[in-house]
Amino acid sequence: MGTTASQLRKDLLSEYQELTFLTKQEIILAHKRFSELLSKEDRNVPTPRVPMEKVLSLPELKSNPFRKRICHVFSTSDMKDGSLTFEDFLDLLSAFSDSATLEIKSHYAFRIFDFDDDGTLDGGDLEKLVNCLTGETDDTRLTTEEMRQLISNILEESDIDKDGTVNLSEFQHVISRSPDFVSSFKIVL
Amino acid sequence: MSFDDKKHIRGQVLALKSFKKSRQLNCFADCSTTVSLAFRRCGANMTLAKQTLELWRGTMKEVGGKFGTGVLSYFKFLKWLLMFNIFSFLVNFGFITIPQLIYHPTPDIPAGVSFKGLEILTGAGYFSHTVMYYGGYSNKTQGTGGRSEYNMQLAYFFTVAAYMVLCGAALIYSMASSFRKKYVLADSGLGGAWQLLCSWDFSVTNEKAVRQRKNNLRIQLKAATLLLPFVVSLINLVVPLFYSLFKKIEHYSNPRMQVYAIIVRNVILKMSILGILCYYWMKDVANTFSCWESIVGQALYRLVIMDFLFIMLGSFFGEFLSNVIGTKCIQSLGVPEFDVARNVLDLIYAQTLAWIGIYFSPLLPVIQIIKFFILFYLKKVSLTLNCQPPRRAGRAAQMQTIFIAILFFPSFVGALSMVAYTVWILPPSDKCGPFRGLNTTFSAIQIWMDDLNRVDAFQWTVWIYQHVIRSEIFYFLISLIILVFIYIFRQITQGRQLLIILLRQQIVNVSSGELSGPTCLVHQSCCVRSGCVYVMMLLKCRSNIFS
Repeated sequence: MGTTASQLRKDLLSEYQELTFLTKQEIILAHKRFSELLSKEDRNVPTPRVPMEKVLSLPELKSNPFRKRICHVFSTSDMKDGSLTFEDFLDLLSAFSDSATLEIKSHYAFRIFDFDDDGTLDGGDLEKLVNCLTGETDDTRLTTEEMRQLISNILEESDIDKDGTVNLSEFQHVISRSPDFVSSFKIVL
Repeated sequence: MSFDDKKHIRGQVLALKSFKKSRQLNCFADCSTTVSLAFRRCGANMTLAKQTLELWRGTMKEVGGKFGTGVLSYFKFLKWLLMFNIFSFLVNFGFITIPQLIYHPTPDIPAGVSFKGLEILTGAGYFSHTVMYYGGYSNKTQGTGGRSEYNMQLAYFFTVAAYMVLCGAALIYSMASSFRKKYVLADSGLGGAWQLLCSWDFSVTNEKAVRQRKNNLRIQLKAATLLLPFVVSLINLVVPLFYSLFKKIEHYSNPRMQVYAIIVRNVILKMSILGILCYYWMKDVANTFSCWESIVGQALYRLVIMDFLFIMLGSFFGEFLSNVIGTKCIQSLGVPEFDVARNVLDLIYAQTLAWIGIYFSPLLPVIQIIKFFILFYLKKVSLTLNCQPPRRAGRAAQMQTIFIAILFFPSFVGALSMVAYTVWILPPSDKCGPFRGLNTTFSAIQIWMDDLNRVDAFQWTVWIYQHVIRSEIFYFLISLIILVFIYIFRQITQGRQLLIILLRQQIVNVSSGELSGPTCLVHQSCCVRSGCVYVMMLLKCRSNIFS
């Protein structure tokens, strides 16, 4: 891989610096890691797109239980296949960076947890969320009764307007009372 | 908002800016935009410089990735304390040691004393006559009348005082901001189910660690479904009786209370020992020995070295031996986890020693810096070889607030009181040191003020000294004003809490279809930051009903 051909142009670099929370060094590192994921044919395409499987091979995302949802949320592909361009990748890193604000992080966390993309977290979303975090095999999952009890506890704690779902404002309110969230919601290359 | 939208908006803003620029030839607006742009670029460059110079960045990312943010907080705390010591070293070396070395390049060591290797452990012998300790500094004003004069007494006093004041300010600031961000907003009851779900640590990249955390989270979630209501009410009953029901906490199943109990006992023990030592130094050593400040400095040096050896031993027993026993002998114990609380308290104790020693041994921070450097790599190696990643996600943010509070209150305030007592009341030794011959160390300031009084230009300094610093009325008034402000803010906080309860009820009422509550409540709540969420929801509910 030739270093000159794949270096970022200076004006693009300063544009990315203004549009994201990343520093110059982080953007250059992201560009380097992204280029490593590209196949040989894609390198000369103007805006190359990396398929989801390749993105999930990154060590930072490989073991993350939400890796597929993260790719779907940040992908701008028309085919909804979770593939990322370099700008999508920068968007991802910016939302998960050190300097991103609580509002941005909670907004993206909400979208990641919203498995059916309907704008609210209902019982189905919460069940999928718990299953992601506890395990995929049958013996590690919670039983139906425990799941039902857990979801009703969650809703009682966070559903302020009692409509049976958690919307963005209620989610952000719960997050603001959890001081560990900002430091845990972080992915650094 | 997608990247394309952001680029589109940015393009529009730039176009608008260039359009405005071509119409307005206003010099002031142009200047102010250039200046603000320059400031922003400067800030970005400074963050970049800070990142490149950042110490141990790669190592800390590695530790955080494998062991999580809880264990990483120990290393961050170590780095933060190291910064204190580096600053102290620079200040002391620059303002006290360098002038001493310039005017007296060779220390006057009595005949027969030479450097043997043992001094590094004991601190006595050759070292006691060098600039390492208080005794090695002269009390004369350096330089002749023609050249610029350098008053060693004032330099020594003000350097130590300025360092302590800056340390105190930094501690108070970080304690207050940490408390506001991480403690006040946190859930006061047992972490509910949401807390468990949102506490997933995204920075953990090691597969085994992730699997263990998932297992542990599953167990915690199961417990939450069964015990939640019972335990929450039990906590609300017990927490106010924390101190009188110390024994109950021992049998408490909540791991957080256990950690708090360990911390309290540890702190009380260490601070009592230090307190007794300080009392002995102030009462007996100060009266018996001739160059007593250097003796105290040497004792502190030995304490620092011994503490370092004991931390290494603690690492050996706490981590290495536990690992060996857990894997080879008693399999049921398993590989140990890194005990963050115990290690952070060791760090706090080490820093207390350094703070007490600032006055008696200006170059003690050098030893502390070397010690912390070695400790960082030692702990990292021990962690990687002997420990496993923690199975449950700890409350890193709240523990950090508590650690900073312990660093401030018994540790820094105790060290400051001891140094203040030495400076204010104890007579300095008359044969060595920069304050020899004076009644108390503080008399140097009094003499300086008397000198300044003779010069007309500095009358305002003398006035400030006599009527502000030395008058009791001033401090009394300040304390009174601060108490009044605390009372006012407390009333405001309580009022807002009541408002939140009312708004919550109103949201439930509105969304269930009853139109109730005066609209003026919405206006009042606009000023309440935490009420904003409720206001938004209230308006949304209303719009849903009316749509």
